Amino acid sequence: MESGSIPTFQPRLKVLNHRQALAIHTAALEILEKTGIKMEHNESLDMLAGAGGRVFDKDWIRLPAYLAEEAIRSAPRQIALYDQLGNKTMPMVDENPFYGTGSDTTFTLDLETGERRRCILADTANFAKLVDGLENISFAMSMGNPEDVSKVDYIYVYAFAEMVKNTNKPIVFIADRSEDIAKIYDIACLVAGGEDQLRQKPFLLNYSEAISPLRFPAHVMDRLIFCARKGIPICLPSGSNAGGGAPVTLAGAMAMGIAENLVGLIVHQLVAKGAPFLFGPNVSALDMKSAVVSYGCPEWSLTQGALADMRDEIYGLPIWSFAGASDSKVVDAQAGAEAMFSIITAMLSRCNLIHDNGYLEYGSTSSLEMVTIANELVAMARFFIKGIPVNETTLALDALERVKNAGPQAFFLMDDHTFENFEQALFLPKLLDRSRYDSWEADGSKDLYTRSNEEAKRILSEHQVTPKDDGVLKEIDDLLKAL
Amino acid sequence: MSYQTLLDAVIKGDIKTATEETLKAVDAGQNAQDILDQGLIEAMNVVGGKFSKGAIFVPQMLRSAKTMQECVEVLKPHFQENAMTTKGKIVLGTVKGDLHDIGKNLVGMMLEGAGFSIIDLGVDVAPEVFVDKIKEAKADVLGMSALLSTTMPSMSLTIKALADSGLRDTVKVIIGGAPVTRKYAQDIGADSYAPDAGSAVLEAQKLLNKT
Ligand code: B12
Repeated sequence: MESGSIPTFQPRLKVLNHRQALAIHTAALEILEKTGIKMEHNESLDMLAGAGGRVFDKDWIRLPAYLAEEAIRSAPRQIALYDQLGNKTMPMVDENPFYGTGSDTTFTLDLETGERRRCILADTANFAKLVDGLENISFAMSMGNPEDVSKVDYIYVYAFAEMVKNTNKPIVFIADRSEDIAKIYDIACLVAGGEDQLRQKPFLLNYSEAISPLRFPAHVMDRLIFCARKGIPICLPSGSNAGGGAPVTLAGAMAMGIAENLVGLIVHQLVAKGAPFLFGPNVSALDMKSAVVSYGCPEWSLTQGALADMRDEIYGLPIWSFAGASDSKVVDAQAGAEAMFSIITAMLSRCNLIHDNGYLEYGSTSSLEMVTIANELVAMARFFIKGIPVNETTLALDALERVKNAGPQAFFLMDDHTFENFEQALFLPKLLDRSRYDSWEADGSKDLYTRSNEEAKRILSEHQVTPKDDGVLKEIDDLLKAL
Repeated sequence: MSYQTLLDAVIKGDIKTATEETLKAVDAGQNAQDILDQGLIEAMNVVGGKFSKGAIFVPQMLRSAKTMQECVEVLKPHFQENAMTTKGKIVLGTVKGDLHDIGKNLVGMMLEGAGFSIIDLGVDVAPEVFVDKIKEAKADVLGMSALLSTTMPSMSLTIKALADSGLRDTVKVIIGGAPVTRKYAQDIGADSYAPDAGSAVLEAQKLLNKT
């Protein structure tokens, strides 16, 4: 028997069967056809009406199902994001999961004092640099809403420039309106070496949001159309959280969120057929005691698992999702438990672009330690989905034979088979502690929070980000000064 | 007259029984203001207490608030010359540039349940729109919501606009929303801040000295 001839099953989560998936999709189409949506952007409203939509109350419009079906067909199945050095590092297609940080938190946990304080630009720089140095974190987001920018109108441009200066990984960015997204695009072109180069090897993706329920403001559509025309990948999830922005039952919240997403996709594809659109709503849950929209709940993981099934059954488009976040205020057991729950389920569902790793306090606070921990948890999850390869080498009957024959003192630990295979066969943690009690105590009895704090500090002081060309950096600074 | 059945119905969120009981009380010649104060608002105080202790959930509390509103509709025609006395008039809205409204709506419902009358201006509300409405409605309180750090400055601008139009002393200002802090409220000269809907009611009562 040739080794490796048995295909390896890779553990995979299934949430919906085909009929459930179709029923949610059909409900989403019914929302578009019967309920309609509020399109506050004239150009988009005209476009939709021209394509077959029926305006019924000022800016409310109903959309026939075929518009959605056509848009799903014309959008690309793969979105490949490149790093800023031109390598294709995030081929989002079918079952490839990529984890990254999140955007605008108000507060961050100070690395030195542990205190929760307002975010500043230097934090965005630190998060980007940390991401650059962590092997399982594939893309950067701002992780903060910096307090110290000179012009608040251009906050997202400053944040973007800060990320470009501190990482070469792909960037998922936020913008507010036509003016600031144009500036961000200019910076991206400087980095990529021109418009064509950027279109050819996009290293950025825009995260915009429609307003649940069913509302599409003009400035959001401006961004969507800008990205469609420039070939910048974009996602447009809405806030369809169960019980708050959407029906409390998860099927209904998903149907509404998907309907909202389809509206974005339709306009996007009407503007530029084949432009890259990352699919998927944010279907979390509103906590019924605190009225907080949760970032640690099982519901969000469940709905995005369901969405991954719908991707496979129906849409074929790569999807947007979340993981590695928590509602806890501090880096504690709750934070670890919630982060791991979403990380492993997103991995098992093969979600594609997985943001918000490192969030605490339902998205109000960010933590460098949490990102560092998430990096390790993602490694654990990745190990898990590799499954158990079954072949001659891994069945290791000859190793057993050798050990049996080598006398009573022989053990597997010293057999060549162990030496040759242990690095692939086992998960080797870096941050999670498995040391003996005495050595753990001798080393200062450090818990995971302390160790991740030290590791984050170490990376920030030792990691070298491949520097950008001085000329490019100067042009970026000139652009910022001219804002 | 005891309002116990009415109280229980509002607390349970039993709209049918509550409105029937309200009508019964009116028919029995009870004063509309008494029914409101000793029946409906009293019931909502109990509900608010249960909610803040974690004994009931948000939808149960909102169902009680809705029950109360239905009863108020029944009562309205029975106030002399429409002179229903509320605990105060509150103008509420999400500030300019900001489209988040779930928190603001929840705060509005809770305040209404506690006996305030609410004028909700919706989302993306510019300072001058707040000012005009406050002037027109002779509001006692202005409640502003912001969920984005980038739109928080609009709260400060609104307070300045109030001062410029000479209205600042006529109205109390309370602010809230996820990125807003007590310190920020102090910095911009707001009178109060609340981190959630339950405490928004207590703060509003404190501001108007109506506990
Ligand atoms: C749902 C949501 C949305 C929905 C809103 C839908 C709607 N109709 O409201 C959508 C998808 C539209 C949305 C859009 C955006 N959002 Co948003 N959103 C959220 C989310 C997940 C929950 C907010 C919510 O509804 N909570 C539930 C309610 C009940 O709670 P609450 O709003 O906090 O209100 C309570 C208290 O704050 C207080 N309160 C609120 N108002 C008031 C007023 C007064 C007077 C008082 C006393 C108290 C008070 O009492 C309320 C009840 O207890 C938060 C993250 C989070 N978990 O909080 C992000 C968040 C607020 N959004 C954020 C961002 C960045 C955006 C976008 C810019 C994203 C984008 N890429 O486009 C856009 C901006 C749109 C705009 N111009 O406004 C950031 C803000 C960061 C910051 N510091 O600025 C957050 C924190 C997420 C994050 N970490 O990135 N969002």
